[in-house]
Amino acid sequence: MVPLKEVVKAEEGEIFDIELEADLLKANRELATKNRELLKKHGVTAIDVMGAIGSGKTTLIEKLIQSLKKKHKIAVFKGDLTTIIDAKLIGRHGVEVVPINTGKECHLDANLVKKALQKINLEDIDLLFIENVGNLICPADFPLGSEKRVVVISVTEGPYMVVKHPFIFMDADVAVINKKDLAQAMGVDTKKLKIDIKEVNPNAKVIVTNGRSGEGTRELVDALGL
Amino acid sequence: MEPTEKMHEFSMTTQIVENVLREAEKHNAKKVMEVHLVIGKLTFLGAEQVRFSYNILVDGTIMEGSKLYIQEKNGVVKCSNCGYEGDLMHEDNPMYHVPAPTLRCPKCGELVNIVGGKECTIKSIRIVT
Repeated sequence: MVPLKEVVKAEEGEIFDIELEADLLKANRELATKNRELLKKHGVTAIDVMGAIGSGKTTLIEKLIQSLKKKHKIAVFKGDLTTIIDAKLIGRHGVEVVPINTGKECHLDANLVKKALQKINLEDIDLLFIENVGNLICPADFPLGSEKRVVVISVTEGPYMVVKHPFIFMDADVAVINKKDLAQAMGVDTKKLKIDIKEVNPNAKVIVTNGRSGEGTRELVDALGL
Repeated sequence: MEPTEKMHEFSMTTQIVENVLREAEKHNAKKVMEVHLVIGKLTFLGAEQVRFSYNILVDGTIMEGSKLYIQEKNGVVKCSNCGYEGDLMHEDNPMYHVPAPTLRCPKCGELVNIVGGKECTIKSIRIVT
């Protein structure tokens, strides 16, 4: 028998290149697609409400609940860093609320929404509002599986909110300019803000509201197709 | 633990480092020498902040001292009306200093869809066994 040659082994200290092609944001997008399929299967319309801190997202959701709760069976996922203050406010309206505390994160992601979806009986509802953490930047990178995305800004944040944060409006189906009653005091022209939004995303429906009085709620309901 | 505000990049970079370490362990790596990332310009991930977070996170791991290469990828849009595919248009308004991006097609003015530029991909890593 011919003696075997020496075994070929990978040497210590050998250098390897490993192709990974792992898209980390894609993992979230795929999870979002799964959430969407689950919601669709149960006939639930989900709406992601994003927007600046203090722009009036919660108040608008409260107004939407008031005008829609006879027609729809509603649940709300309420994202916040640590508190359940807003979740309690929404709970007063007799709808199911799942608070989502992100702890450290500046946005909701599809995985947190997936967990929240396990907490409710999807057969009991047909409309779900998902209120994102107040932030005009990070949520744009993380779709959640909702059918529509709403971005809320208000005149108290000044006249440049759209041009400073254009990207979040690209993913929006509906954009809300809130606190119209304060526009004059703030010296902000809501028409100009509307033009800025249309410039970034001509497809977005723009609604001007006063969340406290409820002005514009009906137009918002129409824009959301509810 | 007291929750603290975290940067968007920090949480993404944590995921990047965790993924690289897992992959390196699979190959019994003693050291990670290079990490190659591709970040789309339509994400909210700043290369500078990713680097900053990276250097903190790799400390004390086999990734310490590794080189991070970041390739930025342009946003790509596609028009279903005229077939345009390419960079998205920026509306130049001198008042705003930075030109604002728009979803209008630079060729025909219709609405375009974003088809690229939203990725954050670990393309490859170089390890020593």
